[in-house]
Amino acid sequence: MDQIKKSILHLYPTTKFLVTLFLCISVFIVPGYLYAYSVLFICMFFSYLAGSFKEFSDLAIKALLLIVVFIFILQSFFYPGTHVIWSWSIFSIKQEGIDFALNLTSKIVAIGSSFILFFRITKVKDLISSLEALGLPPKVTYIFLSTLQIIPEMKKLTIVIMDAQKTRGVETEGKLFTRIKAFLPTLSPLILGSIAGTEERVLTLESRAFSAKVKKTSLYTVEKTKYDPIVRIILLILLITLIIWRVML
Amino acid sequence: MTTKRGLKYDFSLIAILLIPIGVAINFVGAQIVLLLKLPVYLDTIGTALTAMIGGPWIGMVTGLCTNLVKGILNPVSFAFIPVQMGVGLVVGLLAMSGMFTKAWKVIIAAVLVSLTSTIIASPIQVLMFGGATGNSSDALVATFLASGQQIWTAVFSTKIINECIDKVFCLLIAFFIVKKMSPRYLSKLNYGSIFIKSKKQ
Repeated sequence: MDQIKKSILHLYPTTKFLVTLFLCISVFIVPGYLYAYSVLFICMFFSYLAGSFKEFSDLAIKALLLIVVFIFILQSFFYPGTHVIWSWSIFSIKQEGIDFALNLTSKIVAIGSSFILFFRITKVKDLISSLEALGLPPKVTYIFLSTLQIIPEMKKLTIVIMDAQKTRGVETEGKLFTRIKAFLPTLSPLILGSIAGTEERVLTLESRAFSAKVKKTSLYTVEKTKYDPIVRIILLILLITLIIWRVML
Repeated sequence: MTTKRGLKYDFSLIAILLIPIGVAINFVGAQIVLLLKLPVYLDTIGTALTAMIGGPWIGMVTGLCTNLVKGILNPVSFAFIPVQMGVGLVVGLLAMSGMFTKAWKVIIAAVLVSLTSTIIASPIQVLMFGGATGNSSDALVATFLASGQQIWTAVFSTKIINECIDKVFCLLIAFFIVKKMSPRYLSKLNYGSIFIKSKKQ
């Protein structure tokens, strides 16, 4: 069990991405909504193997449940159709609407859950490092990595600033208008402060030859495992079989 | 003094460092809204701000990065990448033509920006998600549909109402914050000079 978990988590990021891409494409090759919904369970199974089942299901529910419910409500009531299943005064649920909603939501759930799975089993750091190996310029990778670092930092800073403003007497609770007035005093020190910091960061980066037009080396690299080629070949075979099966049908 | 502008010159190091800050502002703005329990989203302040002082291309990249990062937790955001990019581009272009120098001009700009984002977002919402987005504005779409509207007009009207309110606040906040920035910093950016001039008046 631990062996399987390790080998899934240590797969090369682009291989994992190919798995995600394969799941997304296969949804459009295989007709009907049953297969597309089962992709959710396939992803659940993989996330269980990788030991992140709870995180996966939490995120999947948060991201996908509401939108699926709303699509069902909108489409089943308002999709033009004639086969009325259930009706109450001016509202009626139609078979065509339900079919349309099933088709649409199954694809959204499949694509959404395969991407959620991908980001649960792949560290963003690994993904970016593998993209850099593929030839992504280091400026782009720097933007992404520093973005991911700055967000939690600034979230912490927000709480600090809010507390500081409260001690100065800025009200952050109460009527709507009071709360609106508290918005700008919280946000503007945060923004002006972090923007002032960029000037120093420019100096720091330049002193480390960030803009120099030479090949950069990296301290952090991801290695391909022995399973990577196997997984890729299996995916290719599966894709070809699916296409042939679909054409022959 | 004239500065060279365009895709080739806009990505100076100081402008590149603005992008992560812009993305973080988008997130933090939304977080403060949650903490203060305000009835708006305000999740494009960072995109607007970077587009104003960094130019349309930097704004577009900020929008792109924002939704890519959001997509790590909620893949639905990937579908709405073009919306944020469009907002960045249009805000940048409007800032270049001096639409962000006075408060009343900002409000006109906000209407134009919300029109852009509605035009980009509505087809995505209707064709890919059957008109739903998974948040509270769907109730309004349902109300429009129940009153006999077509799905396109229902989504479009809901969007334009929401966007106008949201973008007016977003752009005004970005405008006030840019006004507070020091000319010393603004002068280092390709598009900062617009806001230095408007300070003298």
